[in-house]
Amino acid sequence: MDYIILIISSLLINNILLAQFLGNCPFLGTSKRMDTAIGMGIAVIFVLTIACIVTFWVQHKVLDPLGIDYLQTVSFILVIAALVQLVEMFLRKFAKPLYTALGIFLPLITTNCAVMGAALLIIRKEYTFTQGVVFAIASASGFTLALILMAGIRERLEISDVPLALRGTAIGLITAGLMALAFFGFQGMDAALTALVRS
Amino acid sequence: MKQVIQMAVVLTLICTICGAALSGIRSITAERIVYQRLINVQGPNVEDVLKGSENDLIAERESVEIDGEEILLFVGKKNDRPWAVAYETSAAGFGGELTIMVGYDLEKDKLTGLKIGTNSETAGVGSRVTQDPFTKQFKGLDIDLKFTGGPCPVGVDAISGATVSSMAVSEALKKSVALYPKIKEAVL
Amino acid sequence: MGLMREFTKGLWKDLAPFRVVLGLCPILAVTKEAETGLGMGIGVIFVLTCSNVIISSIRNIIPRQVRIAGFIVIIASFVTMVELFSQAYFYPIYQKLGIFIPLIVVNCIILGRAEAFASRNGVIASALDGLGIGLGYTMSLVLLGSIREILGAGTIFGVDMMWASFRPFTFMAEAPGAFVSLGLLLGIMNAVSRKS
Repeated sequence: MDYIILIISSLLINNILLAQFLGNCPFLGTSKRMDTAIGMGIAVIFVLTIACIVTFWVQHKVLDPLGIDYLQTVSFILVIAALVQLVEMFLRKFAKPLYTALGIFLPLITTNCAVMGAALLIIRKEYTFTQGVVFAIASASGFTLALILMAGIRERLEISDVPLALRGTAIGLITAGLMALAFFGFQGMDAALTALVRS
Repeated sequence: MKQVIQMAVVLTLICTICGAALSGIRSITAERIVYQRLINVQGPNVEDVLKGSENDLIAERESVEIDGEEILLFVGKKNDRPWAVAYETSAAGFGGELTIMVGYDLEKDKLTGLKIGTNSETAGVGSRVTQDPFTKQFKGLDIDLKFTGGPCPVGVDAISGATVSSMAVSEALKKSVALYPKIKEAVL
Repeated sequence: MGLMREFTKGLWKDLAPFRVVLGLCPILAVTKEAETGLGMGIGVIFVLTCSNVIISSIRNIIPRQVRIAGFIVIIASFVTMVELFSQAYFYPIYQKLGIFIPLIVVNCIILGRAEAFASRNGVIASALDGLGIGLGYTMSLVLLGSIREILGAGTIFGVDMMWASFRPFTFMAEAPGAFVSLGLLLGIMNAVSRKS
């Protein structure tokens, strides 16, 4: 039952994008059109989950036993960068259609702070392996959810009369703010849900 | 081929230099980091449960080994004589480990206070065990705790709807009280 | 005079994140208070200047194919230094910034400057570039932090600013306020720069 709370919490209540501010650059960059948003979203779910599994292993099997946890930042970013390269090579070779669909988004993911952020949060919150994987998938899905919702809104904004100064990123941020406000409504659910599961 | 070797050499060199620099800085700052963490994380709780002490509680911390486990002790002194001691114990809470800091009066063998340290209890529900209305009930309890079936010892009302978190506090407290005789011996 | 321009361009012409939309995550996440914004800004200035200097001084030694990997290692090392120093000397700020200190490493501004400027220019120019861009970014962080702190808590750097009956807008202190106020500020900057 705890996993249900964890999933809902990381998907909606503590949405990685709208409540924790991770991954905003690709959020605003790739949310102008629906098809790019979907492509980016799927690529993020894929890479973020693998990255969290690998960094979890690195932290608990390499950094902690050797007592070099201060190299966390360096090793995590290298692992993520290498992983993105590997995924790209693997897809190009064995899954050509997937590569043509996601290929252009992969290099962008290295500097997507949602990936590194989720990996760090799993370590800081001292999740177990299963909790970590569930958290990673739910967070990445939350990212994708917000991205796709945003793309839907922005496609409509294209045809509406936005003040000249606010066009582009500015109106994107304000829209994101209003979405964050909507997601803010989930805040109280945490407690209610816990009480429900307990009873 | 020459290019590959150059690439490997340069990258290895960069990594070695960076690694060496970092481990150097790490060893310089390590001691201060431990101290800062004590002051900022455990410090406020120690100050609270050992209120009335006249010494610098953090600076005069000491660690003792009891049953093969290292325990960090904070000894409160009045007129240069130890009057109370505080240390941390932990138990499994709802969302992860829950740590408590308990202070003991060495003369009266009573609790001087209890504070919750690191925990991942659910915000709004289990997290209420960290708040004053709950924790201040432990002040003045005798170390001879009595349990009559409820999640908390006699004299303490559990938080309704947060049974797991209340029980985690009690579990940690039982461990803490069990250690007390040996710790008292070590301090005096 | 050319060198001076490398410094000043970061303060207006290439002001991040308003003129060059990069580094949005920290500017949204750590600007609940002016103080945390300032702490973050100082961290970024340090990492940006140091990594720019090192990268520009090894720009002729490092082979092209592995340059990004090398840049990442160097940047990550400086970020770790910030992490260690802030833990040792500014622990309360370290606690407030949380995972956003290690996340400086994925701040696009830093890798962007390394790739676009430091790997093509001399050491002094790169140092000034890093200092200028970092300072500009810090100004933006403190500006947004001040606005949100004044409206969201009625204080600035922890000092009371507003009249006694002022009721803080909780909205500004929370996530939605961060997005909306940054969006509006960006709009104002656009309007101002279009006029001039």
